[in-house]
Amino acid sequence: MKKMDLKGVVGLVFGNENSSSNEDSYVERLLDCISNGQLADDRRNAMAELQSVVAESHAAQLAFGEMGFPVLLGVLKERDDVEMVRGALETLVSALTPIAHAKLRANEVQPALMNTDLLSRDGQSISLLLSLLGEDDFYIRYYTLQLLTALLTNSPIRLQEVILTIPRGITRLMDMLMDREVIRNEALLLLTYLTREAEEIQKILVFEGAFEKIFSIIKEEGGSEGGVVVQDCLELLNNLLRNNASNQVLLRETIGFDSIISILKLRGTTYSFTQQKTINLLSGLETVSLLVSGGLETDPGSNNNRLTNKTVLVQRNVLEHLLMLGVESQWAPVAVRCAAFECIGDLISGHHKNLEALASKSLGDEPETEPALNSILRIILRTSSMQEFIAADYVFKNFCEKNSDGQKMLASTLIPQPMSITNARFEEDINMSFGSMLLHGLAMSEHDGDLETSCRAASVLSYVMKDNIQCKEKVLQIELESSMPSLGSPEPLLHRMVKYLALASSKKGKDGKSTTPRNSYFQPIILKLLVTWLSDCPNAVQSFLDSRPHLTYLIELVSNTDTTVCARGLAAAVLGECAIYNKSNEPGKDAFAIVDAISQKVGLTSYFLKLDEMQKSFLFSSAKPAQQRKPLTRSNANSMAEMEDIEENETNDINRNDDHPMLSSMFDSQFVDFIKKLEGEIRDNIVKIYSHPKSNVSVVPAELEQKKDEKDGDYIKRLKAFVEKQCSEIQDLLNRNSTLAEELASTGGGGESRCSGGGGSERVQIETLRRDLEEVSQRLEMVKSEKSNIESEALTYKNMAEKMETDLKSLSDAYNSLEQANYQLEMKSGGVGVDVEKIKEEAREEAQKESEGELSDLLVCLGQEQSKVEKLSARLMELGQDVDALLEGIGDDAGALNDDDDDDDDEED
Amino acid sequence: MSYDYLFKYIIIGDTGVGKSCLLLQFTDKRFQPVHDLTIGVEFGARMVAIDGRPVKLQIWDTAGQESFRSITRSYYRGAAGALLVYDITRRETFNHLAGWLEDARQHANPNMTIMLVGNKSDLSHRRAVSKEEGEQFAKENGLLFLEASARTAQNVEEAFLKTAEKILQKIQEGVFDVSNESSGIKVGYGRPQGTGARDGTVAQSGGCCG
Repeated sequence: MKKMDLKGVVGLVFGNENSSSNEDSYVERLLDCISNGQLADDRRNAMAELQSVVAESHAAQLAFGEMGFPVLLGVLKERDDVEMVRGALETLVSALTPIAHAKLRANEVQPALMNTDLLSRDGQSISLLLSLLGEDDFYIRYYTLQLLTALLTNSPIRLQEVILTIPRGITRLMDMLMDREVIRNEALLLLTYLTREAEEIQKILVFEGAFEKIFSIIKEEGGSEGGVVVQDCLELLNNLLRNNASNQVLLRETIGFDSIISILKLRGTTYSFTQQKTINLLSGLETVSLLVSGGLETDPGSNNNRLTNKTVLVQRNVLEHLLMLGVESQWAPVAVRCAAFECIGDLISGHHKNLEALASKSLGDEPETEPALNSILRIILRTSSMQEFIAADYVFKNFCEKNSDGQKMLASTLIPQPMSITNARFEEDINMSFGSMLLHGLAMSEHDGDLETSCRAASVLSYVMKDNIQCKEKVLQIELESSMPSLGSPEPLLHRMVKYLALASSKKGKDGKSTTPRNSYFQPIILKLLVTWLSDCPNAVQSFLDSRPHLTYLIELVSNTDTTVCARGLAAAVLGECAIYNKSNEPGKDAFAIVDAISQKVGLTSYFLKLDEMQKSFLFSSAKPAQQRKPLTRSNANSMAEMEDIEENETNDINRNDDHPMLSSMFDSQFVDFIKKLEGEIRDNIVKIYSHPKSNVSVVPAELEQKKDEKDGDYIKRLKAFVEKQCSEIQDLLNRNSTLAEELASTGGGGESRCSGGGGSERVQIETLRRDLEEVSQRLEMVKSEKSNIESEALTYKNMAEKMETDLKSLSDAYNSLEQANYQLEMKSGGVGVDVEKIKEEAREEAQKESEGELSDLLVCLGQEQSKVEKLSARLMELGQDVDALLEGIGDDAGALNDDDDDDDDEED
Repeated sequence: MSYDYLFKYIIIGDTGVGKSCLLLQFTDKRFQPVHDLTIGVEFGARMVAIDGRPVKLQIWDTAGQESFRSITRSYYRGAAGALLVYDITRRETFNHLAGWLEDARQHANPNMTIMLVGNKSDLSHRRAVSKEEGEQFAKENGLLFLEASARTAQNVEEAFLKTAEKILQKIQEGVFDVSNESSGIKVGYGRPQGTGARDGTVAQSGGCCG
């Protein structure tokens, strides 16, 4: 009968979601039944009911937190009824699981989070939960793990801290990895959450043999062919290794890296890459990249550890498997190929032996083998995926960085081929050398007008020449045959590249809006090549200036508002290099002439502005040293695995005057630093060149004297010629002077030239104004940063206050319930007749009140009150009170109540 | 890489007694006069030969500070050997030994082999604890004992090796169930067959019982 009553009330509860007082009292009654119910069945039913209410009702979750934990933790402590323990755990899981469809108002507390807070605050209850993992019953262990996972999801840091303080707490969790499969999988998830960014926990797990267990599970589940369990294992493994040098050393020194490498190994002829397998491989590649990036930067031994990891990985043949994934396997998804290239790039970066190892690798079956570097180059030239190009490009960047021998080796093969071969199709290029393939790529655009291939080749070429004067000189010697030999002699490669640059911008100009984002990166990459090439290389500068239109074109590009900020800035950098690395004495091509051209056609101020603008653009400001890749987790794995040229769609609507986002990976921190340094040099040198104009006429007083046997006529002629020269020079200087003065007046800035032209006072004024402006803007900056500081402070305080508030709330709730309990206890134990009167009266009142609204509610309440009366009577009797005498006064009322109760029952039936 | 046995060690003792320096001397054969405070736990490993058989030592160097105690305790149970270190120039580090031992007895495997190390023996002019006192304490508590110097490397090898010898001896006496991971001992995979058949049987019987 009781059960029926309960059902009735549930109906009411769901009919009336908003009345939280209803929920409160209902949950309270269920809890009361759980702790005080006479029959085991009643208690179990109440528990089941409680679980379902808490799982579905927002208000019930809220109500549960205030009263439920002590009761359910009590059940967990007693552990005499397995079914009750299971039920209690399941209920707790429900209480911590946010209800998906519940609509929360903005400022409302999420009850699941509040409950998490209540439960995780007490170390004892976590300790209690961990001890439940030792129970024999499967469901108890299973639900306990789920409960701990829920706690960790909602409040990771607190739980990590608590678990660390529990002796052998982590050991218990680790033991679950040896349990039966369902438990083991649950434990894997739990440990993954537990180890996120918690170095000490990561270490303890490893001490407890986590590596061995993880690898044995992976093996058991079939390596990369396995299911989501393998993915979970790898995520846990990666958590243990991320930024944790100590664990990396342990893995390397005791188990070794073979187990990791074998995950990357493709078996047989693999053409099937399921989504799961892709994710598994990506996770395995992430492991390699974590090992290669070592521990935290701040750790002094980090660099050593990183280098040793790289050495050991390559010794264990990881390159072979990476090349298989990145190059040889035709079916590997783009995401996997890219990640493999990134790993290769990381492995060789700054590691001499590994560079050599990669250079000596050959791919393919005899006799059709070719160097791995050639295969990677072919991918760069041919792939249709932008990401893959960038990833493969990264390999060459790292291969050439501070590796002059490697650069020379690559450059030595740069020998132009006769046209017949240059025209050969790519399919026949298996026997081509690296250099021929690269030159072929560079020359491609000549045939089909597609700049993309040439542009990618240009990117590789710039790595080959970077910081290497010998390679720069060598490449300068290269001349390409014109596509139409009849049109004339072969042209230098450098000139061809400038031609492509012009082609790229003219295409833009003509097509106007039809410019796709895809080719907006052509110009910057070719300019990057030129900047790299001309740097510290007077011969390259000379070759560049050999063709008069080059300079004109470059100057045009600097002031062309149709190009991107980056293209203008880079063009300005090339222009600057033409001035500062210029050793020429030829009039019109010397440094002075270049600076002159800049100042007259662009204006010095405007010129430096271009360099500034570029460095402020996102490409330069967003380039951070060694960006960490995002960890692969269950929640983002799918999207990572499905990477397929997403940027094609995403960037379609970007402004065509914006730079292509992909450039940010090519404009890495090294290049950004290089440009910064270059800009400083350009500024210094241009000022120097300007302030010391080379005079055509040297004035030597002795020459002005009439020579001994000189005739007067000749003397006058000589003097006249001299004066003419000086005159024209003065004219020259005056012209320049006026340009400078104009510029000064129009921009109010610069201050680069020291010529004190007209309008001295104006100059002074402008100068002071400029300084004032600078000061004010600095102050503004300061105030801004102060403001943001204060704002963030305010935010933290606000958060703190919120936390305090919830803390306070739960404390006061706890206090309230304590007081209630206290009150009840007082009533029960007092043995005071008057109280019985009161209780009865109260009971009657309450019963009457409730009966108006909810009939079934009344039933339960009355039953409970009555049993209370009975209990109290019995207690009174025990205490030796004269029960009969007391009952005389109140017996009639009680009888009447009883009658009512019966009547109601009858009616209902 | 292949080894007959793998032993897990921990190094414990007050802060500043030279635990990390002992480990560094043992694994890298170098001394670092100024060493950062150990945060939590650091790891080191080395392969050694005991009775002519390859044994891998995995060593966890713990932070001596009280605030890390709850973390470092997690490492007691799974260790086969412990180096309990004090500083012979600082009396209080010797006085705290009893507390450390108590901690170890409470949390560690009862069969853990403990080597008491009086470190900084090169600073004998500042000695505050006599060698006899150290010996006496070790004897009373059933510990191995050595005075060592991480600076001069004196007795550093010995401290680690003697502990390993003792553990190996215990294995041969059948004290350990080597298949149980909490013993801090693991039998190597790459164990060459035929060498030391007697111990092979011990290891195998251990495997069966587990």
